[in-house]
Amino acid sequence: MRELCDEAIAAALATGASYADVRAMTRRTQSLATKNGRVEAVADNETEGIGVRVLVGGAWGFACDRRLTPEGAREAARRAAAFAAAAAAERAERALTPVEPTTGTYRTPLELDPFDVALDDKIALCLRAEEGMRAAHSDVKVTSATLRALRERKLLVTSDRVVVDQETVECGGGIDAIASRDGVVQVRSYPSAHGGASAQAGWEYVEELGLDREAPRVGEQAAALLRADPCPSGVTTLVIDAEQLQLQVHESVGHPIELDRVYGTEAAYAGTSFLAPGDLGSLRYGSELMNVTADSTTPRGLGTFGFDDEGVPARREAIVEAGVLRNFLTSRETAARIGAGGGGSMRADGWNRMPLVRMTNLHLEPGEGSFEDLLADVDDGIYVETNKSWSIDDKRLNFQFGTQAAWKIERGRLRRLLRDATYTGITPQFWGGLDAVAGPEAWRMAGLTNCGKGQPGQIAHVSHGASPARFRRVQVGVRS
Amino acid sequence: MIDALEVAERAVAAAEADEAEAFVHAERSGLARFAGDEIHQPTLTDNASVQLRVARAGRVGSATTNRLSEEGLRAAARRAAEAADRAPADPGFDGLARPAEIPRVEGFDDATARLSPEEQAVRARAAIDAADGLGVYGYYTSGVTRLAVASSSGLRGEQELTDATALVLAAAAGASGYASATSWRDGDVDPAAVAREAAEKAARTRGAVELEPAKYRAVLEPYALSELLEYFSFDAFNGPALLEERSYLAGRIGERLFDESVTIVEDPLDPAGLPKAFDFEGTPRRRVPLVEDGVARGAVWDRSASARAAGYESTGHAGPPEMRIYGAFPIALSVAPGDAASVDELAELVEDGIHVTRLHYLSVVDPREGIVTGMTRDGTFRIRDGRVAEPLVNLRFTVSVPEVLADVPGLTRERMLVNRSDFYGERYPFGVLCPALATASFAITGCGSGPGL
Repeated sequence: MRELCDEAIAAALATGASYADVRAMTRRTQSLATKNGRVEAVADNETEGIGVRVLVGGAWGFACDRRLTPEGAREAARRAAAFAAAAAAERAERALTPVEPTTGTYRTPLELDPFDVALDDKIALCLRAEEGMRAAHSDVKVTSATLRALRERKLLVTSDRVVVDQETVECGGGIDAIASRDGVVQVRSYPSAHGGASAQAGWEYVEELGLDREAPRVGEQAAALLRADPCPSGVTTLVIDAEQLQLQVHESVGHPIELDRVYGTEAAYAGTSFLAPGDLGSLRYGSELMNVTADSTTPRGLGTFGFDDEGVPARREAIVEAGVLRNFLTSRETAARIGAGGGGSMRADGWNRMPLVRMTNLHLEPGEGSFEDLLADVDDGIYVETNKSWSIDDKRLNFQFGTQAAWKIERGRLRRLLRDATYTGITPQFWGGLDAVAGPEAWRMAGLTNCGKGQPGQIAHVSHGASPARFRRVQVGVRS
Repeated sequence: MIDALEVAERAVAAAEADEAEAFVHAERSGLARFAGDEIHQPTLTDNASVQLRVARAGRVGSATTNRLSEEGLRAAARRAAEAADRAPADPGFDGLARPAEIPRVEGFDDATARLSPEEQAVRARAAIDAADGLGVYGYYTSGVTRLAVASSSGLRGEQELTDATALVLAAAAGASGYASATSWRDGDVDPAAVAREAAEKAARTRGAVELEPAKYRAVLEPYALSELLEYFSFDAFNGPALLEERSYLAGRIGERLFDESVTIVEDPLDPAGLPKAFDFEGTPRRRVPLVEDGVARGAVWDRSASARAAGYESTGHAGPPEMRIYGAFPIALSVAPGDAASVDELAELVEDGIHVTRLHYLSVVDPREGIVTGMTRDGTFRIRDGRVAEPLVNLRFTVSVPEVLADVPGLTRERMLVNRSDFYGERYPFGVLCPALATASFAITGCGSGPGL
């Protein structure tokens, strides 16, 4: 593949491009879904190709070709350059932060390759977990289980002498139980909703999840929710579990700090940001207990790599320190424009998409104490677990989340189960109400594989870590 | 581009199985994305893949590849066979795709297919130049998609379709407006006109004010209505969701659920939409009544789910394999028009309420009750005395879609095809054909940011 990348770089520079980067990739994915005791789908997909991005006359262009051949490489480069030339307006050359010439490699550390696990063993795990949910209660009417695995080999070569060879492996899974009775329908999932959770790791990660072990609890809780009262409406103290809080971090911190959004280049689709470039170092994002870190080196993170898709080495950096905004997620171009940061967050969804500023792994750093300590200081409040619905406005200010389960907190203890819980808020005010984060022993990380952005659309796989946390003065129980 | 049917036939021939079925999906497209005054992310895509499903002794496996050489197809055939051999036998398996008469549909325009990247960039530039001083954010895209299906039982089908879309957000600090146009004919899409519509809308959004949360009468433009109905349809008009009782229509088929002016069909064959001849299992697509004069009539089905549901058969709505666990989805919702001459006439019917141009980031809160939340954006206004009045900030809504459709004072005569594809994965353009709609109830539950950047 190195020769193909060199061929594409040479072809791009021959058209007059001032910069070019090339990614030659192969990706294999396997997904398995069972539902109600039968195999619903077994998909084994492989895709390969080459993507070429160029700068011509200060304008970007991108083209791709599924053929991993010299002809495919040259043609992609020529088409990218021609599209860039057609797109170019009168402007000066585009500035990029410098990157050191590098030759590097990265491989996901793993114990057991998920593609070496027999498919029938995977099917058996799914069916066993499903049986565990169904056996838990007769009101459980629909059960499903999913498993996934991915292997991606990517060779990145750039015209400023970066050559990076990376191979990543991901796997994960999840289970869902839907209970229904008398027109009420409730769902319970593990380890999270929307396809479960994933990690950049070997099959040992899926074994640790214990999908079959957790199945009876998931089934029981789905059925119990049918008999639970709806979450009441009001302004109260809210304790959020690690899984829902990971999504809260994703939506209300991760996306607003993407510097391309701040500059408006996602305005038509994903939206912009309530943050401005001048907020760096001064904006109060939340309370002093709020510490958020972007870390593309986190073991098992879906956003972990050796180098991003511009060849910038992986790094860990503070985003919010003691409640104050310290960094954005940047590309080489946006970092040059703001005069801060050095890129490192450019990621593309495969060989046929252009890199965009994306989250890597974004974590809410732990505080201290246990989950029980969080509850102990709540006389009257709500505890919520596991995402069910999610929505946030185009500047990432007004959000509303729904969760699968909730419990009434009274005098420092979880009391009654509640269903149909929602909570809503405005980002900086909400994070300003953060008054406790549980400690490292309660910190959990999970990976999600459905983060959409860009036109044409791209999906990113990212991980978030969080401990359960407590927020004061939160509106819960939104009614239609 | 490749000969998709020829690839499908080669894939079937490569299979070592009792039965085999191949679905080929090829794309050649360009998307000139712009922001401010520049085309900042122009993307040319060229790809083709084949999904091969095989059945061996009642066990089914599948594999997908974009390596279309003989060696690549043989490797995919081996992986599909291995998957089948490892899967348990499915007692409900009733065979892969069988020969069927594939409907002839429109949806291909040679001029659109021949558009060069340079011409795509020219169209994007036309939108930028028409924005009248505002920044524009969006894209022009056109593409050709080839679909083909073949099976060992003799099914043969192919379709070549084109699509073109211009989408524009015209915006500055404190002001934004939105417009889009889509068709399978590039000649129907005028990027400059789309930009002018967006800019005109944006100019009226300056000075937006907040609104007290409450239920309001509302006018929903086609951009807004199409997205709301699409999210509702994920469960409501999904055949398997009927069986699983997560659809609002479960147990309610034949009942009058909505205003009698509401008629919704799934019409993938309509040349006014983005026509499709067959689904991802090779089943011919059908027109399916969903709601007639406010009465719930049905949902869409794929082969697998309908085989397990007495009295149903596939309507040609199988999605790609990785989506099938979620059921069957409409891809061509079509809402019958009313008799209002214009959106302004709908405002007169509403008298006191709000006007919503576009929605943002929807999520289904409760599928069984049809409750959906999201935000309005890029053109939200108060309606007073039957006229569009002052601009409003982006509003959070949490609505019961059945309640929105229960009392409909009017719909426009004119309908619009709204693109609903965000072009994730392989290109499969689809949209909703709908009028603007006035409703007696639209629940606003909060306020967000103001319009604009």
